[in-house]
Amino acid sequence: MCAFQQRYPPKGAGIYVMNDEKAIVIRGLTFSYRGDEDVRAVKSLDFEVDRGEFVVIMGPSGAGKSTLANSLNGLIPRFLRGKYEGSVLVNGLDAAKHSVSRMADEIGLVFQDFEAQLFSTNVKLEVAFGPENFAVPREEIAERIGRVLKTVNLEGVEGRSPATLSGGQKQRLAIGSVLAMHPDIVCMDEPTTDLDPLGKMGVFAIAKELHEQGALTLLIIEHETEEALHADRLVVMKDGEIAAQGKPGDILRDVPFTDGAGIMPLQIPKYFFELKLCEREELPLLPKDGAEFFRRKGLVLEQSRYKWLIEGDRARERHYGKTIVKAEGVTHVYPDGNRAVDDVGLEIREREFVAILGHNGSGKTTLVKHFNGLLQPTSGKVTVCGKNTAEHSIYEIGKEIGYVFQNPDHQIFAETVFEEVAFSPKIRGCPEEELAVRVREALEAVDLAGYEKQDPFSLSKGERQRVAVASVLSARPGIIILDEPTTGLDYTEQRKMMELVRKLNESGQTVIMITHTMWVVAEYAHRVVVVKDGRVLLDGATRDVFAREPELEASHLRPPHIVSMSNLLGHTLLSVEEMKYCTGGVS
Amino acid sequence: MDMFLYIDKETPVHRLDPRTKLLLMLLSFVLALSFRNFAILSSVLVGVLLYGAAGGALSNLRRIRVVLLMIALFSMGIWSVATPSDSRFLIFSLDGLLYGVMVAIKTDLMIISGMIFLSTTKIEEIAGGLVKLKLPYRGAFAFSTAIRLVPMIVATSYTIIQAQKSRGLDLDSGSMLQRARKYVPLVIPTLVSVIRGTNVFSMALESKGFGYSDTRTNLLELRMKRNDWLTLGVALLVVAAAFFFNMDSV
Repeated sequence: MCAFQQRYPPKGAGIYVMNDEKAIVIRGLTFSYRGDEDVRAVKSLDFEVDRGEFVVIMGPSGAGKSTLANSLNGLIPRFLRGKYEGSVLVNGLDAAKHSVSRMADEIGLVFQDFEAQLFSTNVKLEVAFGPENFAVPREEIAERIGRVLKTVNLEGVEGRSPATLSGGQKQRLAIGSVLAMHPDIVCMDEPTTDLDPLGKMGVFAIAKELHEQGALTLLIIEHETEEALHADRLVVMKDGEIAAQGKPGDILRDVPFTDGAGIMPLQIPKYFFELKLCEREELPLLPKDGAEFFRRKGLVLEQSRYKWLIEGDRARERHYGKTIVKAEGVTHVYPDGNRAVDDVGLEIREREFVAILGHNGSGKTTLVKHFNGLLQPTSGKVTVCGKNTAEHSIYEIGKEIGYVFQNPDHQIFAETVFEEVAFSPKIRGCPEEELAVRVREALEAVDLAGYEKQDPFSLSKGERQRVAVASVLSARPGIIILDEPTTGLDYTEQRKMMELVRKLNESGQTVIMITHTMWVVAEYAHRVVVVKDGRVLLDGATRDVFAREPELEASHLRPPHIVSMSNLLGHTLLSVEEMKYCTGGVS
Repeated sequence: MDMFLYIDKETPVHRLDPRTKLLLMLLSFVLALSFRNFAILSSVLVGVLLYGAAGGALSNLRRIRVVLLMIALFSMGIWSVATPSDSRFLIFSLDGLLYGVMVAIKTDLMIISGMIFLSTTKIEEIAGGLVKLKLPYRGAFAFSTAIRLVPMIVATSYTIIQAQKSRGLDLDSGSMLQRARKYVPLVIPTLVSVIRGTNVFSMALESKGFGYSDTRTNLLELRMKRNDWLTLGVALLVVAAAFFFNMDSV
């Protein structure tokens, strides 16, 4: 623990008022980005953090969370410029009046995009980069590398190139490279957004450990409500202001507030709150406590209603059409010998909504890329609408199956939304007069009608994601593949995106979705395929797969809280609504 | 997919100081650019290949063999047509062909030599070496970072090609002009992604104290050792000998 207390004497001119109590003191911070002067990203913000405190900051996109984070080490206003008022004192040092590299000695910042923040040849040199800049003696750097890699659980990969690590390892390395500078405050800006459940767990484990060591002040900006429970304080931001702060449990029990603030509510308190059985303070937070509370209150799960749900599932299955995607004994071996997909057989029928789960590197993306001919199997066969993908080009297969990539910025290029959405039908020879109809139809489907003349680059991430979906829909494929459609979106945007996908599916579209977000799977997908080490581990109706919690956990997948609680009560219910529907015994 | 050129191995070449390797590369450039003598050029090529083999860099050369071959064929084709000559077979001349072969060896020699340098030297060593040669650290870092960005851009553009192909972009048909226009959907997202990526990259860099002070520790200890001096001595002797035996053609 002494590792993170040890610091270097301050350097450079400026006010240096050591305040032992407060690590961070923000007074009246108002900031608007250059080029967007009318929008104040944060408004007269007052915020303090005690030394050694663990604070989680939540809030919808555009709430000002990243602006707050970037102002702590002076990136705002020195790197990201704009109109700045107020003061930010970090360890008594005015962040706006010192260089970012000077502030780096006080506070370490970890970014969401782990690819862009790693740049060294190997893990060891990556960790060394910070201390090297601060002219720490060579022997001590070597010592710090050992210590830091132990903390972030990366021992044994010292010589590996960061590019060869998994996403979770990369983000842990990014955290380690910041810890090596011995800052006594660390701020992480959405560190787990791009990670699979296993990677997320790794990062949270480190955060918890660092906090328990006690010396470090920790700020984490996060979307995962469940993880906020470990913090000393939860701060919820909205529209550039702090909407609420306090003990995580207290805030998360306030269901009307979390619903209104646009952050994901905790499912267990939400469920019990809506049953109106008890006072707010009594609301249980976690599945186990919830199940106990459920029994104590004499509640029961109504068999007849549960049977009705099951019957609904069966009826939906009977409604599926013929098989349209068929993989037979598909194996894919990359040139480096990695067997990413190993003898997979899979059939997907018309109008199904299939979620493909698995951790990073499980082979799920490789498998799905076979469905539209981006990859060809090393052995085995893939047929889409009766066409063998080996005998038809991507162009031809693409008429049947559309693929929305994870990052919309990897495909958006046109000057207007109309041009972007019209691109695919246009190159497929769609006549001018029909083009307008297709674009209108696609934009209406994603709820972006009226955006035709807008510049796609100026839209929000959620809107860009929807433009990407529209630009695939306009080619009118019968099947649509979505790769992580909700990553990087806030809760409201995620809901909106998924309601849209549900609507598409209900109107006859077959949906294949890769995702890490378990509540999305539980509430929207009809069928779940879990891929592990290139093989299909579990395949079945969502309800059946989510009933098998131990097997899911072995793949580092954890069902949402409400599902876990219902499993403890003997049945598998997939959402708060289903749970409420089946609950009996409410007096 | 591994896009990085550096091959992490423990070989005598890896152990050389980056300054030595940089100088060896420059000397091979000097030789390639100074001579038109087949015997000398091909022995230098053989020498460089042996040096590359000692550094375990041949696998990277295999990766670019198509490029090397294309350059050779292109050079032979162009020069055998373009060189003025009295004796021609159809439109090809033998003098031109020979000249083309020589230009091909010169060009490939320099590419191979550069590739071996990048395959056996970490970017931090390149930066460190340049600092030792009295270049300012910021400049040296910028140079080494540029090398690192290339594979990153290649990886991004690979994803973008897949995304656009999925939307029906067909890069293989149409006239030259039509094909060129088809690259717009690839180039713009690549540029946007690279600009966004480098923005985060520079923020991360500053947040790790880059440029905090003028004195900076380098974890990798760079020292010219006996082997470095020996290698450089031999290399200089070879260059001197080449110039000595080939005075007229310089």
